[in-house]
Order: sequence, then C-alpha cells, then structure tokens
Amino acid sequence: MAEPQPAPTAVVAPPPGTAAQKAVALVAGRWDLVLRLGLLGIILVLGAYFAIRSPVFLSVDNLQNIGRQMAVFGIIAVGETFVIITAGIDLSVGSVLGITAIVCALELAHGWPLLLALATPLLLGAGIGMFNGILIDTQKLPPFIVTLGMLSILRGITEMMGGGLDITFNPSGFTDFGINLTFGIPNLFLVLAGVCIVAGVLLHFTRLGRHIYALGSNYEGSRLAGIKVRSTTLIVYTISGLCAAIAGILLTSRLSLGDPNAGTGYELDAISAAVLGGASLFGARGTILGTFMGVLLVNMIANGINLLNVDAFFSRVVEGVLLIAVVWVDQWRKRRLAQ
Amino acid sequence: MVAARQSQDEPVLEALGIGKRYGSVSALENVDFEAYPAEIVALLGDNGAGKSTLIKILSGAVRPDTGTIKLHGREVEFHGPRDARESGIETVYQDLALAPDLDVASNLFLGRELLMSGPLGLLGFVNRRAMRQQAEEHLKGLRVRLNSARQTVDTLSGGQRQSVAVARTVLWGKDIVILDEPTAALGVAQSGMVLQLMQEIRSHGASVIFISHNMPHVFEVADRMIVLRNGRRVGTLLPGASMEQAVSLMTGAIGEHVAGLPPA
Repeated sequence: MAEPQPAPTAVVAPPPGTAAQKAVALVAGRWDLVLRLGLLGIILVLGAYFAIRSPVFLSVDNLQNIGRQMAVFGIIAVGETFVIITAGIDLSVGSVLGITAIVCALELAHGWPLLLALATPLLLGAGIGMFNGILIDTQKLPPFIVTLGMLSILRGITEMMGGGLDITFNPSGFTDFGINLTFGIPNLFLVLAGVCIVAGVLLHFTRLGRHIYALGSNYEGSRLAGIKVRSTTLIVYTISGLCAAIAGILLTSRLSLGDPNAGTGYELDAISAAVLGGASLFGARGTILGTFMGVLLVNMIANGINLLNVDAFFSRVVEGVLLIAVVWVDQWRKRRLAQ
Repeated sequence: MVAARQSQDEPVLEALGIGKRYGSVSALENVDFEAYPAEIVALLGDNGAGKSTLIKILSGAVRPDTGTIKLHGREVEFHGPRDARESGIETVYQDLALAPDLDVASNLFLGRELLMSGPLGLLGFVNRRAMRQQAEEHLKGLRVRLNSARQTVDTLSGGQRQSVAVARTVLWGKDIVILDEPTAALGVAQSGMVLQLMQEIRSHGASVIFISHNMPHVFEVADRMIVLRNGRRVGTLLPGASMEQAVSLMTGAIGEHVAGLPPA
C-alpha cells in the first residue's frame, strides 16, 4: 500500500464553467421530465379545445368511454415499452391479442371453468413472448423479423381455429366485468391502471428495471458489467406477450365475443403511443407514465374528432403528424446536445 | 532483463514465458510481464509489437500457447474475460463500458446494484439513495469532479466518462486495472484528468497497466515502462529514462537493456 499522498494542488477537472452550460446539462438530465410536461401540455390544450367545441367531451359517459377504449390498447403499449427500452421491437402483440382472445372465447363457449379460461390465454401469451425472446437472444435473430413472422403465424392460426368467424359464448360475470364500473371508473381502466403501476414499479425501482435500461443503452457494456443480458431479454419479451394476453382477455370480456381479427394493427399503435410518450426505438428511453400519456393522447384525439363530426380517418392523420413531430423534437435535442 | 525494483513487494500479477502464435506469425515470444501493487506500469511498443496480444492474454480474452500467469503468487488459468474479471483484473475499454443513457450512480453500480434492506430488497428493489450517496463519496475520494451523480453519462465530457469507467473498477474492488489507450480521444485538460485519476487509484493500492501511444503521458505517470518489439520484451525503463531511449528501444535502434535511474 502506498502512503497517502499530499493533496494535489490541481483538482482533477474543473466542472463545466458557465451557468449556461450547467443549465443545458440540467435540462438534458431531466429531458424525460421536460418531454412529459410537453406531452401533458398537448393533452391539456387539445382537451380544452375538444371541451369547448363539444359539450359531450367532458361528460362522465364520454370520459368513461375513453377510459374503456384506452385499456386494451394501453396494456399492449405498456408491454411494448419494455421491449422498446431494450432497443428491441415486438410486432407480434396484435396477433398475440388475437389468439388469446379467441382461445379465451373458445374455452368459454365450450363451458370451461372461468379460471382455466383466464389462465390458459395468459400462459399462452407469456409462452409466445418467451419463444420470441429465445429466438432473439439465443439464435441472434433480429427482433423485427422474429416478431413479424410471429405476427403472421399467430394470425393465421387464429383465423383457422375459429374458421374466421366470431366465437360467441353465454354472458356471465366475465362479460359484465368488461362493461361495469367500480366507483364510477370502468373496470377495464382499473386493470390498465394496475398494470401501469406494477410495470412502473418494476421498471423504475427494481434491479431488473435498471438492467432493462442498461441493455438498451449499451448491450455489450451491460454484458461486461455482469448483467445477465440473455435472461433479461427473455423476460422483456415474456412481459410483452403477457400484457398482450391480458389485453386479449379484456377485449373478449368487453365485446362478449371472440373476434379473430381483434388486435390487427395494434402493434403499430402501441409502438407509436410508446414513442409519443418518450420511448426511443434506439433503446434506453421510455417510461410507463410517458406511454400512458401517449395512449391517452391517441385515444383522446380519436374520441374528440369523432365528437366533432370530422371524418374519423382524420384522427389517423393527426396521430401521424404528432408522432413525427415528437421524434423530430427529440432528434433536434440530441443534435444540440452533441454540439 | 527485469529491472531491479526498490520495493520488496511481490508482483501482484506475473506472466512468465508467454508465447502466442497466429498461424506462422509469432505475436509473442517468451515474454515476461509483472505488475506490482500500487504501481503504474506502462506497456510501450510500436504497432504490431504485441502489446494488444499481451493485454488480451492478461485480460483473459486470448489464451497463450505457452507460459504461465500468476496472480498474487498463485498460478491461474483464464478461460475467458469473465475469469480474469472475477480474479480482480478489470480492463477498461474506451467508451465500451458505460451505459450512456443511465446516470453516473447507476453506471458505477451497474450489475452490482445496492438493494433495499428487508422484504423490498428480496423483491429486487434498488436503494437509489444509497447508490447515489456512495457514488458521490467514492468519486470525491478519487477527486473526480462532476456536477452530480444524477447526471446521465452522455452529458459528461470524454475525460469525465473515462474517469467514471476507471472509478468503477476501483469501486468493484479490482486491484489490477488495465487501461487501453485511455487518453487517445481526449484533449489536454481531459487527459490530465484521467492521468491524475490513475495516480489516485495507485495511491489506493491498485496496480494500473497503462497502454498508450502518447509518450509524454506515459512518462508523466508510469513507475515502470515495459517495452515490446516484434513480440519480445526488449527492455524496461524507469522514470529517469529519456523519451529518446524509449523510442530507440521500441524501434530497435538500440539493443535489449534496462535503462534509466531507479526512482530516488
């Protein structure tokens, strides 16, 4: 051991000098917060606009309606957020929703016990997600290709299972659940809130959450730091599949039938909601709160435009413009930061 | 061939008779290497002299054809980088180690997160406050200056990043740190920061193996310089040596020998 050395006169590094530099660093460090506040601003301004233009918009009925519509798509977007943070992508979520919805409906139509009709789709969804994860991290296949293939495979199986027809079953407590309210809040929205809380805690307060961000930020560095990168990848895709299965069950409950086309195109909506909420397809960025706000915004736009009697397809246009604008602002920030 | 050292210390890391061939090309031939506790030992050599092969062998990435490696006097065999890391040898590669989107504290504890005590800890909840506090203390102890341990790494300067990567190896209790060209992409002030940190971790008892093309940087901090040429160790220089001597050894203008005066 060396003796303690006399304190060097020169200090290692003078911290960045000017107040302006410090401010830039501060904003850069809090960028997620800035972005969320911006998104909140957009939601409030658009909400105010719809409220002024349509007296129905802020009615309890309509708000409950938005809450119900948000739930299915929101839960998928939460699962997708996990995958996106690791710099991956899951295109199979819409088809996982479809197959789990049909499996759930078929089991109910054949009079299976409710517990089983809930458990099998959940296991199926998680299993499909895990299979995606295995192909991606042990076989080193690109996530885009694996999940795109799975999108097609699962949709095909789903259509074959029900002969392309809706699967009907007798109404029960299960179907009531999707329509009923608890303390004035739609049950479906409560499930979404529950999923968001569990996901948010997992992502932001646990070791697994740290590792998920680290993986998206620097895969090789994470591996060198001793993070189990493979099992983390596996867990992330499993979570995504599980979320899609929860959404499939909820949709079956809300519609009181199994629709083999359910969830078609949802993967892209889920990705754009996550990205609107600050997630980056390059990884390591994204929060559950942000994704929730992205989902809220997309649903609010669709709902408001509907109420204003504007062509419903116009909401797709607005969503697309917003998506590009948000990512453009983020890139602009990155360029500024790089300077 | 090995310089007489003032210290009575045993080498913490010792490689004897290391040889490595790639096909018909001999990358290393019968090379000895030793690093003592609390020492900065530099590895000098022109391109192709065998520096990186030797470093890869010491960090477990490449297995030598011949020779033995001793750690704390005990013979060891590395089957991969993980083995070397677990034995306390950490290699810091430029810009490879850190997660730029995570904050400094998270990076310092990457893969070794501190958990909450009690049931929350069992569920995997991390203790952010403890990590931040320990990170700040640790960096302060090493005289690394940052605005805050909450800054994300991508807002840091190159020198600060390198410093965080180096500081992490010490926090992880590594007693041998290999730095491969740590100042290559850095400006003067930034390089100064990293060189100072190297001296700081030496004073904490770690041995630093320093590979650099930058002769002034090497002469500024190294306690010993081991010179390789054409896969052989051709000499050992002590701080009293001149840069001209080093260059002649590296290029073969003078033969194998030990140059320089032992430090006073």
